[in-house]
Amino acid sequence: MSNLIYYVPLSIILVALILAPLVFAFVISIVRSDYLRSLIIIMIAAVLAISSLILFARVTITHQIIHYAPGLIDWNLLVTIADFGLMAMFIRMGVRRKSALILVFAVIQTIILAWVEFGPKHTEMAYPPIFIDWLSIVMTLIVSIVGSVVAIYSLPYMREHERHQNLTISKQPQFFRTLLLFLGAMNGMVLSGNLLWIYFFWEITTLCSFCLISHDETEESLRNATRALWMNMVGGVGFITGIALIQFNKLPMDASRLLELVRTGNEAHIIALLILPMACLCFAGFTKAAQMPFQSWLLGAMVAPTPVSALLHSSTMVKAGVYLIIRFAPIFRHTALSEMVAIVGAFSFITGAMLAIGQSNAKKVLAYSTISNLGLIIACAGLNTPLALAAAVMLIIFHAVSKGLLFMATGVVDQSIHSKDIEDMQGLWARMPLTSLIMVIGILSMLLPPFGVLIAKLAAIESSIQNPLVMVMLVIGSTLTVVFWTKWMGRMLATNPQADGRKRENLPALYAGTLAFLACGAVILSLFIKPILENLVLPAVANYYNVAGMEMTPTVLSAPWLMIFLVIALSVLAPTFFNHLRSSQIKPAYLCGEQISSRAATAQFLTVADGTAEMTVRSYYFEKVTDESFHVKWVTIVATLLIVILFGAVYLWK
Amino acid sequence: MEIINIFFVIVIAPVIGGLLFGLDRKLTARLQKRMGPPILQPFYDLFKLFGKGRIASNQFQLISVSVYIACTILSLILLATGQDLLVLLFVLALGHIMLILGGFSVRSPYSQIGSQREILQLMAYEPLLVFMVIGTYLKTGSFLVSNLMTGSYKPLLISLPAFLLTQIIVMAIKLHKSPFDISASHHAHQELVRGIYTEFSGAQLALIEMAHWYELILLMGFIALLWQTNLVIGGLIAFACFLAVILLDNISARLTWKWMIRFAWSFGVGISVANLAAIYILR
Repeated sequence: MSNLIYYVPLSIILVALILAPLVFAFVISIVRSDYLRSLIIIMIAAVLAISSLILFARVTITHQIIHYAPGLIDWNLLVTIADFGLMAMFIRMGVRRKSALILVFAVIQTIILAWVEFGPKHTEMAYPPIFIDWLSIVMTLIVSIVGSVVAIYSLPYMREHERHQNLTISKQPQFFRTLLLFLGAMNGMVLSGNLLWIYFFWEITTLCSFCLISHDETEESLRNATRALWMNMVGGVGFITGIALIQFNKLPMDASRLLELVRTGNEAHIIALLILPMACLCFAGFTKAAQMPFQSWLLGAMVAPTPVSALLHSSTMVKAGVYLIIRFAPIFRHTALSEMVAIVGAFSFITGAMLAIGQSNAKKVLAYSTISNLGLIIACAGLNTPLALAAAVMLIIFHAVSKGLLFMATGVVDQSIHSKDIEDMQGLWARMPLTSLIMVIGILSMLLPPFGVLIAKLAAIESSIQNPLVMVMLVIGSTLTVVFWTKWMGRMLATNPQADGRKRENLPALYAGTLAFLACGAVILSLFIKPILENLVLPAVANYYNVAGMEMTPTVLSAPWLMIFLVIALSVLAPTFFNHLRSSQIKPAYLCGEQISSRAATAQFLTVADGTAEMTVRSYYFEKVTDESFHVKWVTIVATLLIVILFGAVYLWK
Repeated sequence: MEIINIFFVIVIAPVIGGLLFGLDRKLTARLQKRMGPPILQPFYDLFKLFGKGRIASNQFQLISVSVYIACTILSLILLATGQDLLVLLFVLALGHIMLILGGFSVRSPYSQIGSQREILQLMAYEPLLVFMVIGTYLKTGSFLVSNLMTGSYKPLLISLPAFLLTQIIVMAIKLHKSPFDISASHHAHQELVRGIYTEFSGAQLALIEMAHWYELILLMGFIALLWQTNLVIGGLIAFACFLAVILLDNISARLTWKWMIRFAWSFGVGISVANLAAIYILR
């Protein structure tokens, strides 16, 4: 078996991971048959998942970083041409959407790109463009598996979505074209080492997110897509400026080479040259990862069909932002930049959680929680110790699974009850038992033991102790996180035995399959966190810092997790299966003895002057304290200041 | 040794916890010039509750109580066997959140409001506990209780005095003592009836009551850790804190959740951070 894996040529794996989705994107855009489309998507999903696993196996066996130059044609030239093609498209979009911002940023990017491509070149010691290390493997596994699951889930979702829209021509071909393009571009980005390649794929994801957000072509979705586009174009300007500065300083345009230089070369000198470009790249990462003050594009993205959110929030787009920062983190270790990145991340962590408390729209809560969690990942990258990086990589993995799951489940609920409001999900436990169980598992996996996100969060807190300010923000932020998740679960669980009863739920096979796959994934991955850490995360980190295992293994992992897992599982399962309530033992809620009738289907009670009133309950949202528009204002100001300080610190540090 | 510890935790701890609650009722009664029930009254109550017929609103309530007590015992076992304090805190939080969800699972105004407020209680004390654990990490370089007990460190209280105060706050919040009896009061004549516990009855309520006994021992264990060199002294300090909480309960009235959050997060977090800052500076 292991030989077999080794003999699959690398070129075929790369074609399957990057080119196949791009090529089939164009195939699927002309396919009109639902059946054929489903077939292609499922096939591509399988190809992606299997190829990424083969790549993982190959690197596990050989224990070698891969540098690879694709053959046949001059790919560098192709990327250059396509890059300018992309810029032309951005400019066209700017004109069509009448957005000066898009136009300005697109023109700036084109000018800088032209300088990089045609300016003074120095072709020193760059590796071949494809660069695969453990971090790339982690990312490509997430993109190819979680991303594919979302793609399969989109099949029934989009069919249902269009049923309500009365379209004359289905827009699904375009939708799935963009989706596949997105997956291919993400894989391309994480498997490239050449900065210009990374930039090229990065811009494709920007374009794809614009197309996906504006998919429904309502006024709101077009407006929000435009905002997403210009904000990400700001990041693009940062990215290309970083590249131009690297070129200007006569440093290699290659991630792998840069990391090596820092590890071996005349460090202080090189870091001094690299720190400003790195700050630019981190800035690009902030925009794509929707960190404060760029959070508004991700919140606006929720107008898109739910699979889009599932994709943007879990395996693609925002993860590209944190990937970029983690990719270069060792280069700016022990600098002021690193400190500031940690603070910017921690600030988004705490404020994202705070803003989520006041929201009742499920997708908005999820969006703020994503911003918050990405902040945590970026804070880890800024803490920049082996342990912190290990925590960051673990968070990327577990967050992708849980957040994808939660969005997908929200989408299913939305199509069933036609609301995304958490208040409307009251009693969902009785109405949609399977979906709400999956949702509760998803939420629990975001915040409690024995699930991976929490274990990674504890590792993050442990590594933050060296930086007191970040530590305090992480502790407070974690507490705030508990509040909005618990409120949400509470709403779903709030049933009324008489009124609701308990129904069986019939989920379409593709829904049930994809949801169950990710829910099981969240549980099983957490159960096997130790092997995952040892085989996937630690090699990724060790490759970065040249450190032994001890220094980056979080101590929380030494806790008796198996026992904890068993006790919790037993205490859940025992009353579920061996202690069933008989129907005669089920009683309605206590209403001070003023219930109209204890058998009544409604929860009505007697009130003054023998009137009757319906009993209603709802969540606390603390409207006075958590007023969104007020908080967003000061958060945006503070976050902008932090980024100004970041660049100031970088400038002074030199 | 581990087995003895675990046995102690499972069997002896609730007995001591029950007795302490009996003492609480007696002392409170005397402070109010009443005779008060016998010290063993909590046990009588418990047996009576176990004897009641089973009534519930839904199956989830049973699950929530089961996870709540299991996690509480588990975290006490983690403490007694010298495990990771940070992990312990979140196992405890899992149990607590499951109890809250149990309260949420019935659409009853009393238990719903109780549960909402219980989230706020959790939110108020959680950072105080985590900060204390971080304080011990700063002094010992590890989250492990075993490391703390075997290492030759001076009693933690000397360098972490603020945490004695915050632990009293945590205990008062966790035991729902005035002025923190916001989500559920010990007396069923409040506007919330029994708040988060309103919809639990019989054996379920008895299990919750028992979990509180474990919880009390756990909280006292935390305080005892502050004098880790001699656990007898540590235990006495913990007992003194318990008496302080009873006294506080009797001399104060319940206040609002806003006040609680403000107090815990300004005063509690404030002195915690100040204490931690002092350690960072003096290191």
